Amino acid sequence: MRFDTIIIGGGLAGLTAGISLQKAGQSTAIVSAGQNSLHFFSGTFESMLGMPPRVVDLFAEAGIHLHYTPGVRLMSLGTFGKAFLALEDTDLFPTEKFARKALVVNFAGFNDFFSSFLAQGLEKQGIACRVRLIHLPELDPLRQSPSEMRSVHMARILDGIWEKVVQEVRVLIKDEDAVILPQVFGLQGADIPMKIRQAIPARVVFAATMPPSVPGIRTQMMLHRRYEILGGTYLMGDEVARAHVHDSVVHSVATKNMDQHFLTGDHFILATGRFFAKGLASTPEKVYEPIFGLDVDYSPDRNTWYDADFLKYQPYMRFGVKTDPQLHPMVGGEPLKNLYAVGSILGMTRPDLGSGAGLAINSAFTAVDNIL
Amino acid sequence: MNPNEFDVIIIGGGITGAGTQRDCAMRGLRTLLIERSDIATGATGRNHGLLHSGARYAVNDAESAEECIRENMILRRIAAHCVSETDGLFITLPEDDLAYQQTFVERCRAAGIGAEIIDPALARRMEPSVNPDLIGAVKVPDGSVDPFRLCAANMLDAKLRGGQVRLYTEVTGFIREGDTIKGVHTRNLQTGETEDYYAPVTVNAAGIWGQRIAEMAGVRIGMFPAKGALLIFAHRVNNVVINRCRKPANADILVPGDTVCIIGTTSTRIPFEECDSVAVTPDEVNLLITEGAKLAPSLSSTRILRAYAGVRPLVSADDDPSGRNISRGIVCLDHESRDGLKGFISITGGKLMTYRLMAEMATDAVCRKLGIDKACETAETPLPGSDERSFEAVAKSIWEAPSTVQKAATFRMGTRASRLKENDRYDDALVCECEEVSVGEINAAIERLDVSNLTDLRRRTRVGMGTCQGEFCACRAAGLLAGSHGCVERERADLADFLTERWKGNFPIGWGDTLREAEYTQWVYKYVLGI
Repeated sequence: MRFDTIIIGGGLAGLTAGISLQKAGQSTAIVSAGQNSLHFFSGTFESMLGMPPRVVDLFAEAGIHLHYTPGVRLMSLGTFGKAFLALEDTDLFPTEKFARKALVVNFAGFNDFFSSFLAQGLEKQGIACRVRLIHLPELDPLRQSPSEMRSVHMARILDGIWEKVVQEVRVLIKDEDAVILPQVFGLQGADIPMKIRQAIPARVVFAATMPPSVPGIRTQMMLHRRYEILGGTYLMGDEVARAHVHDSVVHSVATKNMDQHFLTGDHFILATGRFFAKGLASTPEKVYEPIFGLDVDYSPDRNTWYDADFLKYQPYMRFGVKTDPQLHPMVGGEPLKNLYAVGSILGMTRPDLGSGAGLAINSAFTAVDNIL
Repeated sequence: MNPNEFDVIIIGGGITGAGTQRDCAMRGLRTLLIERSDIATGATGRNHGLLHSGARYAVNDAESAEECIRENMILRRIAAHCVSETDGLFITLPEDDLAYQQTFVERCRAAGIGAEIIDPALARRMEPSVNPDLIGAVKVPDGSVDPFRLCAANMLDAKLRGGQVRLYTEVTGFIREGDTIKGVHTRNLQTGETEDYYAPVTVNAAGIWGQRIAEMAGVRIGMFPAKGALLIFAHRVNNVVINRCRKPANADILVPGDTVCIIGTTSTRIPFEECDSVAVTPDEVNLLITEGAKLAPSLSSTRILRAYAGVRPLVSADDDPSGRNISRGIVCLDHESRDGLKGFISITGGKLMTYRLMAEMATDAVCRKLGIDKACETAETPLPGSDERSFEAVAKSIWEAPSTVQKAATFRMGTRASRLKENDRYDDALVCECEEVSVGEINAAIERLDVSNLTDLRRRTRVGMGTCQGEFCACRAAGLLAGSHGCVERERADLADFLTERWKGNFPIGWGDTLREAEYTQWVYKYVLGI
């Protein structure tokens, strides 16, 4: 099969590149192994310091509305992190003291939302808190299995009975000016969280749960849908097994599911993520890129890969493939002319492009501009 | 009566101390156990978890071999819920001397160990993961034992018999009158409170740290700390213990335990000062992997979960300061006859397998001092969790619980799992998916087993010991703990400590899937949860 551009990896970076190229009239295919970092997306775009219209438009056309509110976001354990750009149902506040009094609400038996940590974190900021549980018999079927009380399963039920949740919260609320709820609403779209906000007479803040992230999975589905509407070919559940490269040019790749049918293209984008996503692999001796055998920037002394303090920045997170200014990765110091590396597989080799979601989007745009 | 007065004070919350407390309590004594950290934090929790048949010692140390097989049979009865009767193989590889096998079997039989030479083909059927190149195999009654569970069960039984336990409490000095130890000064390391306790006899059961305790009392015990490093693999590759049939050497035992298997060990003499901070070196990791793959070749491609090391409390045979005459046997010292110090006993040396015998010897010595004539019954009386009811009956009695909870809880708690009968649906929810630990089991441990932090909870329930190493369950369990003690600030610090402790065993083997998992965990905790 032939496409203008083959994209390996269907996460935020791969989808951003795919949507942009399809819109520009290219025919593209995305090979996606399945889950990606959007499944634990916080709802905010790390290292995106501004509000680039190009980003906002791309998301808006997929039905995802962003807001730009430089300030802080509330994290699951009651701490705060800096953020600028976020999904419309993910709150950002100018300062940590965003309310006077808050009601923290959880669902009985949901252990993936840390209401006591949230309340204590908020009280440190001078926000008085009450923690309350809502008992909903509608969630009982999930309890039949001991591992079903997880965010996404709950969202499937709660999206259908959100009005009942609103009633329960309205009964509980006293003089609070904020209500904190777990992010277990809006699996199909942000409309339900937004309706909940309007129906409760206080500021409603949705705080992240343990992964999977409901807004993250929704974002993934909406970008995926937008990509297919634009005519993109999304090969779900497949992986690139090997690549054919001659004279520093990639000619085709073979996937695990379509062994004899090569995917050929003029350009290739590598958006396979870092270690967790298997974009990079490691042995006791080395760190390597498994598809093309690309040059990786890493320390050969394994003892320097880690910091013994779990909470400190870990040096291995810097490792990434080496690229030239156009994001062409290299083999033996020689750039591959029609291959581009984007997203977290770059590690911290390109600090100018940011990190996290910011790196995914910025590097995808850079690659797209070079291809077009 | 002064509530701080006891018949006997036991220093050390490892298996020896816990066993001694149980034995003393069973003989009617008022007991207090003092431990500066949590239960099973020293050598007790840092070994293979091998239920030795004694075969390993048969050729070189007949006395240890005989002790092991006797205790092996006793533990199968009294601690059935802590033991897996897996059997063991001693395999001969092409590079080993097959002639050793004959000597080995003769010595085993002389020690009373049922050793049986079997056809290598049968060995391969019995244990499909074994190195297929083996040229000889001997079947022995090895097994595996969960040392955390065993330690907790001994302590629980002592408590049910009126014993008291002070965890996170350090002995800061002895109360001494003339040539007699009358009690101890202590400090609670969590609250800073100091307290004095009194008893006519104090037992030093502090393992390798017993040297310091003895020094504090003004007597000297020559300890020779020997570090042993081990690796835990993420799968239960073997169902039968695999040993090498040769003179004991490095990394020649592979033990299945719960959902994992463990290869070990190395043996390196270390300075006493390093006992509190042993770490596994890259060379040790390489050696364990290379040697382990000779026992079961699939280990070379199996994910490693963690690396850890313990310190064996080897003691020089009494009054031999040179250390030439190191014994792995049990050393029970009455410091009155040895050093002229009354009211003080040290029980040390020995091994996990012989803890009950060590406890019996120490308790006999205590009783002699107190003039009590009561026989030891620990070899016949089952521990809590292993009483006469069958595990099957207990699993059935909690039939309303999901099957995973039934199996996992009965496996870990033994007959105590019948407590989970009163569980509701909320209690059935899984906190730890890798090890299938439910909310109910966690709450039972918090209520009954002296849990004050996540690491304590791990030792009693296996929370965070599985493939994800606490990625998901740590936070959930922290939520439950915060709910029970009510202090979120403390739990926040506890969560960070727990993750750092898990990481300490992960980064020495931080490549492949271990690094993948670590990256995910570190990312989620830092950027999503915001620890």
